[in-house]
Amino acid sequence: MAGLGWRLTRGRGAKQFSLVVCSLSAVAIAFLGKAEAPLFDHARAMLSDWTEPALTQVRGPLIGAERWFDGIGALFTVYRENMQLREENAELRKWQNVALSLADKMRRYEILLNAVPDPKLSFVTARVIGEADRPFVRTMILNAGTADQVKKGQAVTDDRGLLGRIYVTGERTSWVILLTDVNSRVPVVIEPSHRRAILTGDNTPSPRLELDVGDGAIKPGDRVLSTGDGGLLPPDLPIGVVRESGDDRRVALFATPGTSDFVHVMEFGVPSPPPVYEPVPAPALAADNKPAPATVTAVMTPKPAPTAAAMPLQSRNPDAPRFDGQDEETEQ
Amino acid sequence: MSAAFETVELLFNHPARLFASILPALLAVMLVILANTPVSFTGGLLPAPVLALAAVYFWVLVRPDLMPPFAVLVIGLLEDLLSGGPPGLWAAGFLAAYTLTDRQRETFAGLTGAGVFVGFAGAVLLAAATAYGLAALVYLRLPPLPPLLLESVSTLVFYPLVAIPMGWVLRGIVGPMRGRE
Repeated sequence: MAGLGWRLTRGRGAKQFSLVVCSLSAVAIAFLGKAEAPLFDHARAMLSDWTEPALTQVRGPLIGAERWFDGIGALFTVYRENMQLREENAELRKWQNVALSLADKMRRYEILLNAVPDPKLSFVTARVIGEADRPFVRTMILNAGTADQVKKGQAVTDDRGLLGRIYVTGERTSWVILLTDVNSRVPVVIEPSHRRAILTGDNTPSPRLELDVGDGAIKPGDRVLSTGDGGLLPPDLPIGVVRESGDDRRVALFATPGTSDFVHVMEFGVPSPPPVYEPVPAPALAADNKPAPATVTAVMTPKPAPTAAAMPLQSRNPDAPRFDGQDEETEQ
Repeated sequence: MSAAFETVELLFNHPARLFASILPALLAVMLVILANTPVSFTGGLLPAPVLALAAVYFWVLVRPDLMPPFAVLVIGLLEDLLSGGPPGLWAAGFLAAYTLTDRQRETFAGLTGAGVFVGFAGAVLLAAATAYGLAALVYLRLPPLPPLLLESVSTLVFYPLVAIPMGWVLRGIVGPMRGRE
């Protein structure tokens, strides 16, 4: 076939004809790509599955060479970076103690309130085998696909924070649309004001914040976290901090795709809908012969959750820490 | 029919010639894969270059018979699909660069020194402008321009790293196996 193409294009007229046909085909494919996106996503997944061995093989030596180049530059800054890291480490140790004590306090409160625990997030760890930092798209290719239970829409994080979401899955590979991509829209919450916003990518390293709900003040340095709104992403994944440039509010992301070798694909299911409650029929007439208000007809009667105080001690988790003001011996 | 017969004849009787014929397109496909690995030799300063465009430009300039429009279309589509971008944009851009290079082949081939960059810069800018215009037409919004310009600069900077090995391949493999055009 290759020879056929070559021979057909020998003549000038045939070459011009071939050029016109190919150019029209490219334009038609561009329009078809918009109308039939799933078809091309499927082709993309097949192509990445097919090129996965090549991408993996090429990646190793290139990353080695890249680190070697980076290492040359780092020689001149290693002392300053070491001093800076020591200071940061000392500061982080203080914060670690604070975090541990707060986590302990939170666990006690949750047991006291008999709060439903947050679901444990399971994840798949995948290697980044491809990355496109292109004008029309910001994406990366992972070496985990449907065979590894990776599904479209799942959140992708590295050790620092959220990177993006899966948008195409092949059998052995999957594609991530990064937060910086022009097509990325992610619901977020800004702490401590608890204001909601949409994080909108525009192909710059710092995506834009489009404020949505609430009227709390936002200042540079506020933390931006994911929300569970719409069941799109797991809640409370760290994303970045607010920074202002003029009238624009943007987010300096914690995670940097360029330095992520391994990432986590978070398995997050949309929570099941709340149970259907039986409506209680409103009494026709109250004791004093006044008609009952109409709003009472749909009173819900969920089964009340037992409070920690009402729970028999034996039914509690024996491994849970005791902090109800009584020691073991007194209770027994 | 005779062309198909000649192709089969070429395949069975002259596999080396066939290999030399498809080698330029194969190298361009390899460059598509290489450009999409998660590695940056500029420390993130410049985006990944469109290395396959440099290969297309080189072969159209020196051996256009080995880089027909259909091969350029396929290479462009692979670039689109593997870079995650909308399909057809770089394919159209590559074909626009092909047209310019093919029409101005005598002029570009005569350029030396910094003039080589000028010729390639014209091809890159035309390819980028075509991809940008088509993206605006299809998606009815203007994509951000600075990343495209940066990618064009990056492609231009990396051109010698593609053209020099391609020259070795031309002189060492394709020329002896395939003969002159």
